[in-house]
Amino acid sequence: MNQLPKQEMEGGCGVIGFASAVPLAGRHLFYPLVQMHNRGNGKGGGLAAAGCFPEYRDFYALQVGYLDQTVRKVVEEARITPFFDVEKTQVHESLKDFREVPGLEIRPPDVVRYFCRVKRDVLEEFALKRGFKSLSKAEDQFVYENTYSLNREYYADIEDKKAFVLSHGKDLMVMKGVGYAEHFITYYRLENFKARIWIGHQRYPTRGRVWHPGGAHPFIGLNDALVHNGDFANYYSVCEYLKQRDIEPLFLTDTEVAALVFDYYTRNLGYDLETAIEALAPTTERDFDLLPKARQRLYRAIRMAHIHASPDGPWFFIIVRSLPEEGALQLLGITDTAMLRPHVFALDDGPLRIGLVASEKQAIDAVLASINAENEEVCPVADRYWISRGGSHTDGGSFVFTLKDGTLTCHDKFGKAVEAPRGEEYGRRIVFGKTEKETAVLPDEIKPGPIPPAELFNLLRSTISSQSYDDFLKTLSSLINYAEVGDEERSYAIETLSLLRDREYNPGSKRRKWLTAMGDAALNEVLSSIPETSGKFILAGINNKNKALGWDLTGKILVIDATEFPQEGVESVAQLMVDAYRKGCRRFIAFRLKGDRFIGCGLGTNSAGVRIDTYGSCGDYAGSGLDGAELYIHGSGQDQLGQILNSGKIVIYGDVGQTFLYGAKGGEVYVMGNTAGRPLINAVGSIRAVINGTCLEYAAESFMAGAEIGGGFLILNGLKPNVYGEFMGLQEKFSGSNFFSLASGGAGYLNDPYHTVTEDQLNGGEFVEFTQDDWNVIHSCLRENERLFGIQVERDLLTVDRIRKWPSQVFRKVIACRKPALEVVLE
Amino acid sequence: MKNSTVESRFENRLGRFVVTRSEECIACGTCILSCHLGVHGRKPGFNRMTPPRNFLCEGPSCAEKETSCVARCPRKALSVSENRQLAALGDNRWTPEMILAVCEMARTGKAPEDGPPFEKGKSFGGFDLMDFVFPASVPEIEESAIDLSIPLNRRGAGEEIIIPLPIYGGGMSFGSISLTTMLARAMAATELGTFTSTGEGGYPEELVPYANHIITQIATGLFGVREETIKRSRIVEFKYAQGAKPGLGGHLLGDKVTERVAEMRQSVPGRSLFSPFPFHSVYSVEDHLKHLDWIKAIHPGVLISVKVSTPSDVDMVAVGSYYAGAHIIHIDGGYGGTGAAPDIAKKNIAMPIEYAIPKAHQFLVNEGIREEVVLMASGGIRTPHDIAKAIALGADGVIIGTAELIALECVRCGNCESGRGCPRGIATTDTDLEQMLDSKWGQRRIVNLYTAYAAELRSLLRKLGLKSIRELRGKMNLLSVSNEPGNAS
Repeated sequence: MNQLPKQEMEGGCGVIGFASAVPLAGRHLFYPLVQMHNRGNGKGGGLAAAGCFPEYRDFYALQVGYLDQTVRKVVEEARITPFFDVEKTQVHESLKDFREVPGLEIRPPDVVRYFCRVKRDVLEEFALKRGFKSLSKAEDQFVYENTYSLNREYYADIEDKKAFVLSHGKDLMVMKGVGYAEHFITYYRLENFKARIWIGHQRYPTRGRVWHPGGAHPFIGLNDALVHNGDFANYYSVCEYLKQRDIEPLFLTDTEVAALVFDYYTRNLGYDLETAIEALAPTTERDFDLLPKARQRLYRAIRMAHIHASPDGPWFFIIVRSLPEEGALQLLGITDTAMLRPHVFALDDGPLRIGLVASEKQAIDAVLASINAENEEVCPVADRYWISRGGSHTDGGSFVFTLKDGTLTCHDKFGKAVEAPRGEEYGRRIVFGKTEKETAVLPDEIKPGPIPPAELFNLLRSTISSQSYDDFLKTLSSLINYAEVGDEERSYAIETLSLLRDREYNPGSKRRKWLTAMGDAALNEVLSSIPETSGKFILAGINNKNKALGWDLTGKILVIDATEFPQEGVESVAQLMVDAYRKGCRRFIAFRLKGDRFIGCGLGTNSAGVRIDTYGSCGDYAGSGLDGAELYIHGSGQDQLGQILNSGKIVIYGDVGQTFLYGAKGGEVYVMGNTAGRPLINAVGSIRAVINGTCLEYAAESFMAGAEIGGGFLILNGLKPNVYGEFMGLQEKFSGSNFFSLASGGAGYLNDPYHTVTEDQLNGGEFVEFTQDDWNVIHSCLRENERLFGIQVERDLLTVDRIRKWPSQVFRKVIACRKPALEVVLE
Repeated sequence: MKNSTVESRFENRLGRFVVTRSEECIACGTCILSCHLGVHGRKPGFNRMTPPRNFLCEGPSCAEKETSCVARCPRKALSVSENRQLAALGDNRWTPEMILAVCEMARTGKAPEDGPPFEKGKSFGGFDLMDFVFPASVPEIEESAIDLSIPLNRRGAGEEIIIPLPIYGGGMSFGSISLTTMLARAMAATELGTFTSTGEGGYPEELVPYANHIITQIATGLFGVREETIKRSRIVEFKYAQGAKPGLGGHLLGDKVTERVAEMRQSVPGRSLFSPFPFHSVYSVEDHLKHLDWIKAIHPGVLISVKVSTPSDVDMVAVGSYYAGAHIIHIDGGYGGTGAAPDIAKKNIAMPIEYAIPKAHQFLVNEGIREEVVLMASGGIRTPHDIAKAIALGADGVIIGTAELIALECVRCGNCESGRGCPRGIATTDTDLEQMLDSKWGQRRIVNLYTAYAAELRSLLRKLGLKSIRELRGKMNLLSVSNEPGNAS
């Protein structure tokens, strides 16, 4: 057996998972999967559900997919009846004809489910033979090995695949096949099927003409199912590791071995989650050094035993676990140490406490929107969104949602809990009043109009903390009504409403997420009710976009309702903007975005004068290649934003994902929150960026932006708003090991009065004196930052622990180390 | 393609032989009358002979004759020997014979008719071990009617582009080579109706008039990449990796980052530039798809070429690229050139191109998508025979780099990475040195090279009994592997 194991080409994919103590229907998984189509290619998809068989919780839900119907009896007689007491057999219902599902090209397997336990005598004999002391462990292993044999005999070892085990864990179900994942929700009629945890996966395999269902995700251990985004490089090594332990993968994909390894750690070796996670994604570099000594010893031991099974390469796993002995279910997301795949976690803590994790934030938003449409108690905006830092000492690169005793808790790899902010829920359908009595004038007789929106907002924000939700709604209602008066008023209302949903302030005893959701809803209301009679605004949707292009667009504001637009391509929102731009349009508002990509791309050179505002979930690559235009993202951005930005401006009222501003060459950028890994990497020229939160890792790597003064720079403020909306300094301004690594130009400015960032985090940069010249250079950016986000220079940046400091006492400057070997003085 | 002789920039170009005149010479001038090639001369009013123009001499085959200058010299003052300096030229891959032959092709537009064989090198591997197997009898084919063209877009959507011969120029960045060299290549590509690539260093404004024949390269450092440069080109090339140093990005050492280069790349003069490996925004195949979609969002209808090196799973990479929307898959093998690379990386990693091409080709055939994608190969393609072998192994066409530089009289000294190092003014951005080369001269040399390639390819195809280059693709049965390197086919 010396051949290299065969492997299918894997790679792409989109993953999603969510958990709730109250069971949720499968239809809520539908839209996020559709929206992640571009992460898969329809050649494989699947889902798993846990907490879905409450009456049969103590039985193994052995679920077999029959590709050849005739073989069912044979399989049952060979692999089921002799060994199992079957409490109940269910044929899972499906549509009569698979062709009823548009896009589904291959008939999915027929699924038969056997709720069973191993026969007592069979079990005892097995336990005796194999030396098991615990009958329940023996039973688990028996089921596992029986499945392996079934899979070999009826699937892996034969050309003409007949049957395979989809899942066999307790209270766990996997459905998968050749097609997009949501096809299986439709085909297997899972729209109303309820489970407490759902995970889904869109696959992007690229090898093999005959796609086979066994290769789709999720893959199972015993009581767990795993989906994977990525493509790790040491499949061979992991296969060898498993073979040394008598475990043999059958389905030719790296994801399967990841699932087998995880099951091996947790079930066979009995590792707790922290150990299992560490074995998969070792803590390295500076993060390792920061661990307490006892942990370092443990982790070193783990690595010595298991490094060869640690998947190497881009990966992000979502795992669902059924823990029947503990009466618990878990949903975990784990990222690789180098954080090469995007992911987002979220917690929506209402009367229904829901934990979510996905490749893209827009998928999470789609789940919450779907649930909210049926259950107004669930806010369509989560309380918290965050990203983990792989292999870190801070969160260990993993978060776990645990369902036990009817509640959901969330903690990181080290057991540290994630809490949602406290506050009362709103929990009702958001409705805006129309009549006089339903809308009050704004508090304290404040009138819109006479004062600019920014000032109005400042007056309003001081009243919000003491307002009730209803009063806040009334404020929004009056702005909505005001918008209907005319175009000027409409612009005013849009600007004020934007401030109300974007900016930080004290929500009082209310939950901030509801205020954001209400602000979004109010904006949607204003934007979607733009009349045809408007002189300045033109509303375009999927049905009338060509008509809109036919009008004279100079001087107008094109408002695009993104509903039902494809996320990319010639019919996309992005392309519509380019077409309209060519016809003279310069102002754009896009709303109800659902991960639409490439917004702002294609405008070409010299697009100064263009302004784009986005509302909703703005998708990947927004603002990449801008050359003069301005892009305002009212919300968080996803990945690869602002690449090769040449000039112009990007403002993000939220967080932003990976490789932000990769290869950027100029322009001004302001981010209210955090960035994920690799922001400003390989940036050159005169790019100027202010990030008010922190960056995950590899900030400004290979920065080449010209002179140390007057060239490009990054300002990292390291702030986070507290529950009162006040911006406070983070304890660790930058927790990664690589700030400004391999840079050769430009400057990085850290707001770091307590010197929390140390030399060993610089990796090729060095601290130099922050001078008055530096302050002159960054001051104007910080003023603009103040204007945009309300982060005041004097109050929020220069005042530390209530003492006013000089800029040089707050800001530190990092420049590239001089490397004589790589430099030359040119004559 | 016009055919005209384009002489060397230098008075005394390289030649195979040296004619030595001893002190016995009495300047009688008999040698002038004896030599039909013009080796000897004497200026009017001078009483000594001018030094022999060695490069014109035919060598011993002429010298041995009775009618030769050597024989006829009354003082026996002349002798002809091999130019020993040639042995120091080149290496086993680019042998002296090959360098001279390519130079000759660039000079005359035709392959040298006599002289030592140059079809294979002495590397004991790769194409140097392969020969064509010519059928015993072939039908009569009119050579001038043989079609050498290939399409670059076989996917249907997007512009239909056909190049008249199966070759285009590979990416060599501004910074690694001079602007004059880039202009020469661009002007030649325009005249020939084919393409050349900007390389990863940005798109100099001077090249804009030739935009229709220039491929914009987007490499991992994203240097000089702007929407404008993407919109300008009919083909965009993603450079994921380079065969000469797979696993590493581009290198431009500080010496070569002159003011102009730094300005183009918006970096700092004098500081070395390293492109990362890989694209930081592409860590998975769906990222790759997203990346290609991004380019299509900027320039709908543009053709996309994906340039990769040759990892062991090059076949999977090819298929993955196809599904991500690429039109051209460009595999760059380990024999390729580089302006700068760490020694350990040069030529020591990645699968040899002669394995990678059939692997990728066969895999694409098995997947049923071979006819929808164009497979181009590069990395040390030197002679018309290399071109034909690459195509016989399964490529649609080839991309050349070093060969074009040799047409411009590169001597393969290997000092490309140092700023003022290039003795021929090619791989430099030093403002003095780059003036050694005139772009128009370079254009004509490269046009001649391609003309010679075309003629040789036609001759080869005729002897193989094939009417077009497309028929040659994948005909591995026409190749045999011999164990005696350096033999003519």
